[in-house]
Amino acid sequence: MVITGSVLFIEPGSEKPVLEALARFPEVTFQARSHSGSQLVVNLEAEDHHALDLLCARLAESIPQIVDITHLQVHFEDEIDGQTNSNRP
Amino acid sequence: MRMTRREMIKLSAAAFAAGALNIPFADSAEAQGDDVVVDEWIKGACRFCGTGCGVYIGVRGGKVVGIRGNPEALTNFGFLCVKGFKGFLSMYHPDRLKYPMVRQADGKLTRVSWNEALGLVANKFKELQSKYGKDSVAYYGSGQCMTEESYTFNKLWKGGFRSNMVDGNPRLCMASAVGGYMTTFGTDEPAGSYSDIEKAKTFFIVGSNLSECHPIIFRRIARMKLEAPDKINVIVCEPRYTSTSRIADVWLPADPGTDLAVFHCMAREIIKNGWIDSFFVNNLCRFTTGQQVVDFEAYKQFLEQFKPEDVSKLTRVPVANIVEAARLFATQGPTVSLWTMGLNQRTRGVWANNLIHNLHLITGHICKDGADSFSLTGQPNACGGVRETGSLCHLLPGTRLITNEAARTQVEKAWGIPAKSIDPKPGFHTMQMFAALGAENDATKPLKGMLITTTNPAQSLPNAHKYFKGMEEAFLVVIDIFPTRTTQFADVLLPAAFIYEKGGVYGCSERRSQLTGKCVEPPGEAKPDLWIGAQLAKRMGFEKLIPWNGDDPAKNYQMAWDDYRTCVKDTEHTVYGMTYERLKKLEAGLQWPCPTPEHPGTAKRYVRGQDPIMDMPHIEKVPPQAMIYFYADTKHEGKANVFLRPYKGPEEPPDKDYPFFLTTGRVIEQWHSGTMTMRVPEIARSQPNAYVEVHPNDAKQYGLNNGDMVKVISRRGFMVLPARVVKMSLPGILFIPWFDQAWDRMVNRVTIDAVDEGSRQPEFKICAVKIERVGDPRDVAEMTIISNVNDPFPIKV
Repeated sequence: MVITGSVLFIEPGSEKPVLEALARFPEVTFQARSHSGSQLVVNLEAEDHHALDLLCARLAESIPQIVDITHLQVHFEDEIDGQTNSNRP
Repeated sequence: MRMTRREMIKLSAAAFAAGALNIPFADSAEAQGDDVVVDEWIKGACRFCGTGCGVYIGVRGGKVVGIRGNPEALTNFGFLCVKGFKGFLSMYHPDRLKYPMVRQADGKLTRVSWNEALGLVANKFKELQSKYGKDSVAYYGSGQCMTEESYTFNKLWKGGFRSNMVDGNPRLCMASAVGGYMTTFGTDEPAGSYSDIEKAKTFFIVGSNLSECHPIIFRRIARMKLEAPDKINVIVCEPRYTSTSRIADVWLPADPGTDLAVFHCMAREIIKNGWIDSFFVNNLCRFTTGQQVVDFEAYKQFLEQFKPEDVSKLTRVPVANIVEAARLFATQGPTVSLWTMGLNQRTRGVWANNLIHNLHLITGHICKDGADSFSLTGQPNACGGVRETGSLCHLLPGTRLITNEAARTQVEKAWGIPAKSIDPKPGFHTMQMFAALGAENDATKPLKGMLITTTNPAQSLPNAHKYFKGMEEAFLVVIDIFPTRTTQFADVLLPAAFIYEKGGVYGCSERRSQLTGKCVEPPGEAKPDLWIGAQLAKRMGFEKLIPWNGDDPAKNYQMAWDDYRTCVKDTEHTVYGMTYERLKKLEAGLQWPCPTPEHPGTAKRYVRGQDPIMDMPHIEKVPPQAMIYFYADTKHEGKANVFLRPYKGPEEPPDKDYPFFLTTGRVIEQWHSGTMTMRVPEIARSQPNAYVEVHPNDAKQYGLNNGDMVKVISRRGFMVLPARVVKMSLPGILFIPWFDQAWDRMVNRVTIDAVDEGSRQPEFKICAVKIERVGDPRDVAEMTIISNVNDPFPIKV
């Protein structure tokens, strides 16, 4: 499982419809907003990095008010555990 | 209510993201959560370009389990690009080299002990030096080694072996920028800093697809442009309409290698319209042909041959675009220019760099807030590790010329070696080195052995085919973390530690050094390069010269760093004030000159009140009344050179037989020869193979559709890869990214190895090719990597 701390940069004045749209994505948890409402702090959860990329693509496609998605922190211990456990000696 | 680990990670990550952007976050989980989420967050630098982004590496149970951008880092303010977030995942790839290996009589590499491997290397190097002379063994390093490592190998070769056969892959990417700064200002590296970006009004981006190659820098510029589109101007000079060009007000699509005429034409327009800075022109500029000093009038006369209409015909840049670019550059400043390989990887690379500096000098857009002539470096430590430690064949630590007797004397004293023991004659530059490499029984090849670290010349040298035989026949020692095209030629293969498995200092484009802490242990028996260098030195009798060979890696790195900062103490490149203690504490590292442990570092050089060297007469003498003074001027007049460089096009322009320009470059996902990034599945899948960009007009003429297989042929070789029919290149110009190590798609089978006369940097960016359609679309998304060290090289050399 990959978990991020990310920021969605959204068009000014679009906070309400964006939050409504985000509610349809169980992999997204809204956490905080900037004073201007143009930046939303969220968690994104995905099976692995590839699934995270796909999730970002889906978000950008289905919510046109999203200008940019930026990860500030990515946590991926499960993925590393899986990788190191499968390493050949 | 008890929080689950997953919830804790989520809150911690969200609190961090909010904190990085100053967004209010009510939950207190950040303070509680970090201790639970990871054992420790360790400060470091990213290793996937020259920007120098600050990161924090999350470690739990001896493994890297998280990464975050460092919001306090003055390079990236917490933001990271795709490579920054994902590239280092390759460190856990099962292909990591874990044990030393030696090639046996049957041609196979087999595991040996470190003692055996190092003993073999030391004895063979000694034998070669004894039989063929001190210069028979070369070191070929990298802008990705830590500063302490490059310094150590450089010291071992130049101070121990007394040999200047030291060079590295920055010769392939930054040498022309070094040459440009040295010839114009008398010393290397920019006057300004990234902090000029937020103070600038106009950006001149030349020969750089910033959005893909330095995405965090691009983000800083794009954010300004998008926030104030009418107040911020962006000029892009680049033959392809890249994603960088999309934010440009003016695009200058000069044919590859013709932009010297554009720069001279801009200077002509600036002077014709009276947009010069008279103070700079009268007091700080010396006009020169390179052989002869002339006056401003002669410069004006010289520029008369570069009329916009003539230049437009030569370059394909519309007249109006050149004129508007000149106006914006000169009158809508302060102006920052930024460039990378499009300027440097050329046979006229130094001249192109000089002409950008010319524009800044005649308009006074330098040595002021928001104004600078700034070369972006491609690799994370090409500046700090190679240029500054002098790990090239013609340099000494502090980027001092090895031909300078005073510099040699200072270094000999610092290193505690007898006077006159450093050879005053430069060694071979990269291309000369590989051309001279060969078998012991080949009298035409003076280099018989080579130690290569952290780079992959069998894939990255231009016209690579020419150099395979030398690599195969010489005694080749390769230090790396993965099998590569180069390890396929290795006689001895030494497994290296990744940056987060060892730590050390990186110095980025803006003269900023940052210390990365060791986070985790390397796999198997892999070792830091510094340990390898010191152990080799010990076995060759140089343990007094390189005494940092103990069992504590952190202490070894610190000893090497202290030795280096002492060596360059009394130079204008001084890092003496950057102690490990300070670099550990400071979130953003420090910029040189930094002469004392109290000094805050220098954002702007040559300006009194900002640059400490202005008031350090034992290093440079500066008149007390001078506020701006180019103190490294070799004529001691405090001036910079404005060059009257003649126009000269590329080495191999298209002709009737080879009618296309081929230009090469990077893509955002992949790093260099792809040996790391191609091992991160998400990255590999998103950019799995090289391709050739073809303009629709050309595609129509050759009957090409998207995906059709195309043979790209130069006078040196050919490759076969899929076509991408796109409008971003002009007709007649092809583009191929260079990361792909699949034999069919290795672009350096066709590139040219002609070099710049001054910098000796090859012209990767321009050669002439022809194309043939060879088949229908084929799936070539193989994501090629070399997994087995004993996979043979694809051809018999």
